[in-house]
Amino acid sequence: MSHFITKKSLSRRTLLRGVGASMALPLLDAMNPALAATVKPVRRVGFVFMPMGADITRWKPEGKTLDQLPPILESLAPVRDKVNVLSSLELRNAYPGSHATSNSAFLSAARAKQTESSDYYLGTTVDQIAAKEIGQETQLPSLELAMDMMETVGQCDNGYACVYQNNLSWSTPTTPLPAEAHPRIVFENLFGQGGTKAERKAALERRASLLDFVREDMAKLKRELGASDRAKVDNYLDTVREVERRIQRAEASVDENPLPDLDRPVGVPAAYADHARLMFDLQMLALQGDVTRVMTFQLARETSNRTYPEIGVSDPHHPLSHHGNDPDKIARMAKINAFHVSLFAEYLEKLDATPDGDGSLLDHSIHLYGSGMGDPNKHDHSNLPVLVAGGGAAGVKGNRHIDFDKVTPLANLHLTLLDRVGVRLEKFADSNGLVEELAV
Amino acid sequence: MEFPRRVATFCVVLFLALVARAQALPENDWEIFLADYCLDCHDSGSAKGGIDLEWSLDASLSGQREMMEKVIRQLDGRMMPPVGKFRPTEEEYSVFVGKLVERMDAYAEVHPHPGRTETLRRMTRYEYQNAIRDLLGIEIDAKTLLPPDQSSHGFDNITVGDLSPALLDRYISAAQKISRQALGRNGDSPDSRTVRVKPDITQDGHVEGLPFGTRGGVLFRHDFPRDGEYEVRINLMRDRNEKVEGLSGKSELQVLVDGGVATSFMVSPPEKRNDHTKVDAHLASRIKVDAGTREVGVTFVKGAPEIRQTLRRPYESAFNYHRHPRQGPAVYQVTITGPFGADSSSMALNNKHLLGDAVELSPKSARSILRRLVQVAYRGMNTEAGYANAMAFYLESAMGGSVEDGFEAALSAILVSPNFLFRIERDRPGEKPGEPYALNDLELASRLSFFLWSSIPDEQLLAAAKARRLTNPEGLAAEVTRMLADPKARALAENFAGQWLYLRNLDSIQPDGRLYPDFDENLRRAMRRETEMLFENVMREDRSILELLQSDFTFLNERLAKHYGIPHIYGERFRKVALRPEHGRGGLLRHGSILTVTSYANRTSPVLRGHWVLENLLGTPPPPAPPDVPALEDNPVDASLPVRERLAAHRDNPGCAGCHSVMDPIGFAFEYYDAIGQFRSHEADQPVDATGAMADGTKFDGLEGLESGLVNRPELFARTLTEKLLTYALGRGVESSDAPAVRKIVRSAAVDDNRFSSIIQAIVASEPFTMRMPEEK
Repeated sequence: MSHFITKKSLSRRTLLRGVGASMALPLLDAMNPALAATVKPVRRVGFVFMPMGADITRWKPEGKTLDQLPPILESLAPVRDKVNVLSSLELRNAYPGSHATSNSAFLSAARAKQTESSDYYLGTTVDQIAAKEIGQETQLPSLELAMDMMETVGQCDNGYACVYQNNLSWSTPTTPLPAEAHPRIVFENLFGQGGTKAERKAALERRASLLDFVREDMAKLKRELGASDRAKVDNYLDTVREVERRIQRAEASVDENPLPDLDRPVGVPAAYADHARLMFDLQMLALQGDVTRVMTFQLARETSNRTYPEIGVSDPHHPLSHHGNDPDKIARMAKINAFHVSLFAEYLEKLDATPDGDGSLLDHSIHLYGSGMGDPNKHDHSNLPVLVAGGGAAGVKGNRHIDFDKVTPLANLHLTLLDRVGVRLEKFADSNGLVEELAV
Repeated sequence: MEFPRRVATFCVVLFLALVARAQALPENDWEIFLADYCLDCHDSGSAKGGIDLEWSLDASLSGQREMMEKVIRQLDGRMMPPVGKFRPTEEEYSVFVGKLVERMDAYAEVHPHPGRTETLRRMTRYEYQNAIRDLLGIEIDAKTLLPPDQSSHGFDNITVGDLSPALLDRYISAAQKISRQALGRNGDSPDSRTVRVKPDITQDGHVEGLPFGTRGGVLFRHDFPRDGEYEVRINLMRDRNEKVEGLSGKSELQVLVDGGVATSFMVSPPEKRNDHTKVDAHLASRIKVDAGTREVGVTFVKGAPEIRQTLRRPYESAFNYHRHPRQGPAVYQVTITGPFGADSSSMALNNKHLLGDAVELSPKSARSILRRLVQVAYRGMNTEAGYANAMAFYLESAMGGSVEDGFEAALSAILVSPNFLFRIERDRPGEKPGEPYALNDLELASRLSFFLWSSIPDEQLLAAAKARRLTNPEGLAAEVTRMLADPKARALAENFAGQWLYLRNLDSIQPDGRLYPDFDENLRRAMRRETEMLFENVMREDRSILELLQSDFTFLNERLAKHYGIPHIYGERFRKVALRPEHGRGGLLRHGSILTVTSYANRTSPVLRGHWVLENLLGTPPPPAPPDVPALEDNPVDASLPVRERLAAHRDNPGCAGCHSVMDPIGFAFEYYDAIGQFRSHEADQPVDATGAMADGTKFDGLEGLESGLVNRPELFARTLTEKLLTYALGRGVESSDAPAVRKIVRSAAVDDNRFSSIIQAIVASEPFTMRMPEEK
């Protein structure tokens, strides 16, 4: 397809009008004049968030390759050729250090307005910027997943509304996207209830007509309200349109994507690892079925007091992360870090074992794994533990340890990932350049 | 004006203080008090904690509401000046605080500011579930239909102005599912539902609601949409090696529908010792059930006395599986599939909520049924237009299909309308910005029902609103009395107290199984129930709210009584139990629930407990810890040191001492209770040291002293509970401008012995509850 690339940039609208929605993907290159002529962008991207940093001494590799994997990253050995570890990244806008901002800045790199009320304000997150471009062709523009089922009270950072700590993804600076932790509900969002083609289509039509009803009621409501409340209803109406669009996509894909032959998961597995694996499996299915192309996954909330008896750590994670430099505590925290990485590593292995195009699913997707905190003991947001996996088809190399000479904004990496999935921005949050090293 | 505070010698200060006491503060009382007690730390130069009080010497008090209210709160709680500094006498405190309060309240009289609850607030999922129950008469589990709500200011009904695509998507699915359920249309084709029992439920005893003489199992309500046959399939609990647990002999397993035995099975050990694959394969049978919501029980017949299973360690870990296996088989999940061979009589025919006065769903009854549903669902607002729209939906679907299709479509539409999903308080055209206006009757009806019931108004409340009885104080009070007596007021215990006291967090707490092998789901539920029942008891019997803190009775079942070491309580049923001092139980602070949610998985946390008291009982939460200070308890302080010495070590760190010298001494009062609320006299071979102190320096040993300290200042607890209730009732954070209203509520409750209803009545009658500020231009 490389001969399609011209130095002229085409608008997406032109493309869609010209070739129809189902055809647009390979042509995405054409919209991206900046990409080197020989590589195509990958069209799928995933973000995995690990709470409360890591023991960086057991995370940061020695030297410039991953030949000697440090203890936390050992489980990545089978896929190390498709992994890059990046050191000396920071989130300037997450300061003053807190758990709320570790989560909220991770994908937004933005400063969270300090408030406990509903006037919260952050920034659009990197996944949602990607979703607005590459997510438009699929049934779900993006998929937001988490692991914590319970809603808690009184456990969010003082001064910050819980939305900052709970939601990784924000589609606008004022719209956090709630994440789902229940595997069955995720499954139904992705694949519906099943049934025959005709039944599924009829079900979608019923939803569409309900949406019409909602829109009419909203419009009527809007006329009865004052100016600032009208703006709020406008946001609701945007939401209505968005859901409408999804239904249209789903209608189209009823024909294009046969429903995988899968059992709906019934409940939530009792063991953390089983639950996490199921959530990763669902992400892989979503990629395989092309139901979505953008995913975020929170492995646990900031300040999570989860204990991990299955790996012999009976201390709650949060107090352990404030280890006061006690070597025993650090070692136990590192075990949790390694456990989280190992679950991600299993997922990468599965992706890599799944053929896709001229390579594997891993080659044709790109994944960011990391935390919004460096040293959790100090609520510090520099020296973040971050790694990138996959993206081979978009020219991303592997087996590298990229240690920047000077402190570099995490936003640079976000900007680079966007570039690799074919979304060209001049700047993202506090970014000051691309991470060219990834593809050199 | 430069105030010459620096020249004040100790003698002068003392003299002025004496003068102040003698004369109940002279005209320039504020300046003198400030100079004596505040400005050493809070002048412009030092401004400790970012608080600079020097400006106030020049400014008028009333113009500085927020700061003044902060000062009042600190002085009222005797938090400032800190213990160890030069402090006012008790009389000086109360006289001075009284004067400040008088001024602030007088200002508020002239400048009312009821605040502004947001115009558009969607129901929380707890409210949604109740609203569906009250509208359609069916039970749903909203947790499986809707995402959790986010909490702010301690409650989940504050940040509810958003509507994300995912949420709207879920609302649509929920509306469709609920409509089908309400109309009994799930029965058009067989559907299945699986109910799973949590693995850490001990199934050794009788389950409340099941017949006596049975052991373990599960009881749940299930909607059978049609008369017909349903398959019930049961799986038994298995261990990590996929072996069915506790198969030592034969046992009989029964399936009960509304208390009657529908079918039964024998469970036996496998013939080949290690092959467990088929042990529970035969536990499936078809039973005939009539349409309706029925109670389904699956349980074992209790055999000859077994080894008491409470000796078993239920925690789900290898350690426990191997050393403490179950002594009898246990139910893992129950799957109901059906109906098969159903006839057309649907459960909708018995549903009075749905049908109202009509006898059946028919084109004739459609108008009256939908009109009534819209009326209740939309809380009396926008009902004409709403009805017309729903009717149009009905007609469109009924014409292309059946009457039931029409109702299903119309009902789905009602349930996704913003008029149902959102609580809307519309601004009045022509209101002047900055001038509060009174809510109308229908708006008050909604505020009332969501406050007291976490649900929509019933028809009686709507009728009272239509008759304009709610904008009349007596009429309003009468409705409050009626509503508090209604079973639906249980929502205050479940939803309000569940969040206020952090009971909700119990679900996510998993104590360390090696340290606390007895902790299981049964205990978790019993703990929560005890606290809810105490709260509900104070509400139902209209007792003083102080009985929440100090009471000579509590509510126990066998599991919890055993946990507390209180003998002679048998069975699963909860009952009121009179307590003796040696039981060491009583008020909230001694409840297993509170003691557990304020602990870590493996140890107690005086810091969390102290913080809990300050935040939820005293209303003076410490500011968040500075980011670079590790959580205090996790400093490398030798854990083997007695508590007293650990505290001393903490105080060496000046960055921590400011707050922790208040928090920790309160938290230490709880030390006789471990991380799951059991009494202990020693910790790690050291005798427990539970000596601590109130913020004002009053020393005590153990919870008794803390409880008396709290009860001796009833107005502080009353204020905090009022603020929490008001936050919950208004759906917004309580601000300094609300402080005069809060004080008014507390005062009026105090004359009525702080009875529960007096606080609720005063809140409902307050300005913030009955009025609203218009939109700011």
